[in-house]
Amino acid sequence: MTTKRIGMEGSFAIAEAIKLARVEAIAAYPITPQTHIVERLAEFVANGELDAEYIPVESEHSAMSACLGTSAVGARTFTATASQGLELMHEVLYVASGLRLPIVMTVANRALSAPLSIWTDHSDAMAIRDCGWIQIFAENAQQAFDLVLCAFRIAEDLTVLLPTIVHIDGFYISHTIESVELLEQKVVDKFLPEYRHPYPLNPDKPVTMGAFGPPPIYTETKKAHEVALRDSKKVILKVWQEFGKLSGSHYAPVESYKTEDADVLLLCMGSFSETAMMSIDKMQAEGQKVGLIRLRLWRPFPTEELRQAVSKAQLLIVFDRALSLGGAPPVCSEIQAALYPLKTKPKIVSFVGSLGGREISIQGFEELINNGMNRAKRGKLDEFEIIGVRE
Amino acid sequence: MEKRDKIIEIRWHGRGGQGAVTSAELLALAAIEEGKFAQAFPSFGPERRGAPVLVFNRVSDKTPIRARVSVINPDIVVILDPGLIYITDVTAGLKEGGVIVINTTKAVVDIKSEFNGSWKLAVVNATSIARDTIGVPIVNTTMLGALVKATDIIELESLAEPLKERFGARAKGNSDACHRAYKETEIAELSGVVKKPTKTFETETFPSWQELLPGSVIPEAGNAKQYRTGDWKSESPIWDHQKCIKCGICYLFCPEGCIGQNKDGYFEANPYYCKGCGICARECWTEAIKMVEEE
Repeated sequence: MTTKRIGMEGSFAIAEAIKLARVEAIAAYPITPQTHIVERLAEFVANGELDAEYIPVESEHSAMSACLGTSAVGARTFTATASQGLELMHEVLYVASGLRLPIVMTVANRALSAPLSIWTDHSDAMAIRDCGWIQIFAENAQQAFDLVLCAFRIAEDLTVLLPTIVHIDGFYISHTIESVELLEQKVVDKFLPEYRHPYPLNPDKPVTMGAFGPPPIYTETKKAHEVALRDSKKVILKVWQEFGKLSGSHYAPVESYKTEDADVLLLCMGSFSETAMMSIDKMQAEGQKVGLIRLRLWRPFPTEELRQAVSKAQLLIVFDRALSLGGAPPVCSEIQAALYPLKTKPKIVSFVGSLGGREISIQGFEELINNGMNRAKRGKLDEFEIIGVRE
Repeated sequence: MEKRDKIIEIRWHGRGGQGAVTSAELLALAAIEEGKFAQAFPSFGPERRGAPVLVFNRVSDKTPIRARVSVINPDIVVILDPGLIYITDVTAGLKEGGVIVINTTKAVVDIKSEFNGSWKLAVVNATSIARDTIGVPIVNTTMLGALVKATDIIELESLAEPLKERFGARAKGNSDACHRAYKETEIAELSGVVKKPTKTFETETFPSWQELLPGSVIPEAGNAKQYRTGDWKSESPIWDHQKCIKCGICYLFCPEGCIGQNKDGYFEANPYYCKGCGICARECWTEAIKMVEEE
């Protein structure tokens, strides 16, 4: 049961989700474009609307470190960051996932310095690709609200116990007012039971967490982590299904838009996918057999769902919003790796663009798709192109 | 001497602080100085003073050394601490015809029954030599002399430069130790069939990945006490009750927390955990504590 549709900034919709989730601990450091989320949460705590421990810290490294502690004692824990802040947390992210602490974090995706940029792209998300967290991408404020709620349920599942990131594009979600349907508290309470860590830090019943892992044990710990992360997909699917039933919003690891008769598919992640949908609408109306797929789930990587989604396509145009400087674009290289073993697979064209907040219009996506089809026709598949660069 | 293709592999068994790493490094440097190829590396780990440690050498006349892996089937084992033969399988994987070089106060006839294989055994009282020549019971350079005597792995003179470089003003004592050990090392041929190794150095068993709890949590509080670090020690504290005033300074300073008070109020160390560091003896203001060598 959703409530009525209301106008709300994306950041505030996320803060509402945190309040409804009855989060018990928040440790955060403000950084653009994430600040509105934690500012609103600070207000909730200050005026008694949310009964949580709010820990102001001196850096993002400390924020994530404090989150380790609150999650380890068994408190439902949330934080948010972006860009440089995420990079400052970097080493602690691996500790959170290695210790299997179900912290939930929102990352308001933003470019990395230098040059200094506060604007959105996916460089920060790609830099923490291998940190062992579940990672999900939202495309609008409603999805951000929904997926943050689902994130707690997924992360805290006793068979999962993994920290989870919901990525939202900075400004395009965090600072955009749009319509959102919230859920009633009693609905959320039913969906999201109280968090109980199976082995919390507790002086009355001591455990060792974060012990030394010498060579005879380290590989086993990593295998256990890898299997847990891969297996979390089953729980993610189950939770999203259940959430779909109660809210009417349905989510899948790979989501398709008008792909039924499409020979050519565009692949995107994040909020610009919605702009791309409008290009697809226009091109289909003109009789072109084009469609769109988006990776909703980034970690664990949805290999089977991706293979299924592209099984009938002849051409896949992958649009990365980050570079792996000196290497292949990060999303495309993973797509290629996932499809490489298949006997029949689409040709792949790789583009990088919309870096550091540069926009891409409806017409821009149309040009990008046409450009991709041209490259495929000319057999120019051996290297990626950075689009929209002044020569 | 004809140049050999063969790579000679050496495994050093010592305790943290005895200088096994230094020995192996000096040997490699000396061999390279002779125009040979050589490597030396320790089994990297969190070992502390007194803990059993392994160090490895590979030496060859004309084959560059590529293997970057522990020595499993040594041609030579060097044992710096005689107590180690009771807590670790020092001859595990030692090849037929291999060489054992051991520091012991015992004569060949008294110790050879400890080893069962067709090996060459070289014994030397390195602790005594080191005390005489260097003034401390650090036997690493002494054992180098014994090793050179027992094998033709390098020329004794080749160690002179590396010793000078490493020890500076203390090089002479170490060089004397080396030369005395070269003279005093006794060698015997052993007989017997080399048993297939029944155990490796990893005597602990570890869980499979499926047995690990989420986050590798250890739910059993205080299980570090299962790890009896007492066998790391080469010296034990002995209290003289005539001098002891029961002040408890030893108890306060013991970094291991292994000193307790007995029913008469005297302090004593728990032998299962005392690593023999000697801090209690150093801190005792009535000099009631003496560190006594373990046998």
